[in-house]
Amino acid sequence: MCVYAYIYMVFFSLQFYDFGDKDEWFYYRLCIMNAVTVNEVEALYQLFKKLSSSLIDDGLIHKEELQLALFQTPYGENLFLDRVFYLFDEKKNGVIEFEEFIHTLDIFHPSAPIEDKIDFAFRLYDLRQTGFIEREEVKQMVVAILMESEMILSDDIIESIIDQTFADADADKDGRIDKEEWKTFVLQHPSLLKTMTLPHLKDITTLFPSFVYYTEVEEL
Amino acid sequence: MKIFKADFDCPPWFSSSAKKLIKRILDPNPLTRITVAEIIENEWFKKGYIPPRFERADVSLDDVDAIFNESRDSRNLVEQCEEGSAVPATMNAFELISTSQGLNLSSLFEKQMGLVKRETRFTSKCPANEIISKIEKTAMPMGFGVKKNNYKMKLLGEKTGRKGHLAVTTEIFQVAPSLFMVELRKSEGDTLEFHKFYNNLSTGLKDIVWTTTDRGKVEEKDGDPFVPNSPKSAFTPKSENSLKNSSKALICITEAIVPKEATSEQQKAKGRMHTKCL
Repeated sequence: MCVYAYIYMVFFSLQFYDFGDKDEWFYYRLCIMNAVTVNEVEALYQLFKKLSSSLIDDGLIHKEELQLALFQTPYGENLFLDRVFYLFDEKKNGVIEFEEFIHTLDIFHPSAPIEDKIDFAFRLYDLRQTGFIEREEVKQMVVAILMESEMILSDDIIESIIDQTFADADADKDGRIDKEEWKTFVLQHPSLLKTMTLPHLKDITTLFPSFVYYTEVEEL
Repeated sequence: MKIFKADFDCPPWFSSSAKKLIKRILDPNPLTRITVAEIIENEWFKKGYIPPRFERADVSLDDVDAIFNESRDSRNLVEQCEEGSAVPATMNAFELISTSQGLNLSSLFEKQMGLVKRETRFTSKCPANEIISKIEKTAMPMGFGVKKNNYKMKLLGEKTGRKGHLAVTTEIFQVAPSLFMVELRKSEGDTLEFHKFYNNLSTGLKDIVWTTTDRGKVEEKDGDPFVPNSPKSAFTPKSENSLKNSSKALICITEAIVPKEATSEQQKAKGRMHTKCL
């Protein structure tokens, strides 16, 4: 990121609670940092406000609030929710701030570069952040999804599913998937990145039209 | 404007027959203007003219278009391609993992705005061919044309809905030997109509969907290979209370449930939504 972006980020955090003023300069800064337009920022803020006030009204998204938004219940454990929350929480302080929200959501924009999506997905599945997706991690995730969808499969079948996946993805047969292998694998199976794009982001301003009305800033 | 009055001049080097033809083409009056058929017959035009030969394509593009270009809306029904020539695409571990609700962030938008999902899925233990024919048999009387391409199907609604014709793409994946996941996606038309369609369709598909129904039907399985250590047990369905039917949900995705004497403690400990609602 360039120096200007860092300066803007400082200003941003100082002015976080002044969001109510239609501060043009503020909006332009966010746009420079992210692949979003001014109106989109407004609309995303409305979404953020809704999510962050659902359980604790403190302008921050807690894990239970994200869980509530995705699962309609704030209770329960879900491995994938944990991973998503972990990656959104860039500062690792246990909450998602608006800046982190926009910054990560940006990767899901249809126009975001595919490398960013591939990289994000890799980090998502690299449970222990070793820089590799190990076989045990894949097994852990398969067991988790089967539990979530309440499917019970025998261990043999689970192993065979993973065997097949690794036969496809693990080119050097070292029992783990590195970044390069992941990239190649994903480019062969583009459906794997389906969850990494949110088409709704494209027309978010139409989803929150009242805020476009209030925005005095012209689209860049 | 000059062109409306046919007020133009041809360059001097044009032959007189060329000039005459151009004059007849650039006739502002469509009734007296020369037709294409007449142009082809024109002497000047015919000189040195080799008519193009169009090869008749052997391949019908309808299948390709319909299945691989979901934005096109072609009406012709096509014949079934040879069955058994291919197997359903295998769902690898990561594709399975991506079906998690925790990874599906679009619900952040949908829940907020009351939008509904454009896709749904269910699992089945029937052979893939049977799944296809069952869907086809159920969808056709509902007024849907069916196009098949290996294990991908496109269902086209004959009626015009709120946003044009409803088109649904169906795809079958193999999760494990004799366990298949069927995905249904709206590719065109109104999402609410897609939900109504799926609601009706799923009643017709009850026999092939691997789940227990709300009415508490008990499925008996002998030596089910999918459940470890359970040679001949009858499976009790989940209680009515544990199936939460949110009033906002239009459709609940039926799940593959093979409960193994799940106690209420186990269920509480799991603490999960037992129904995924759109």
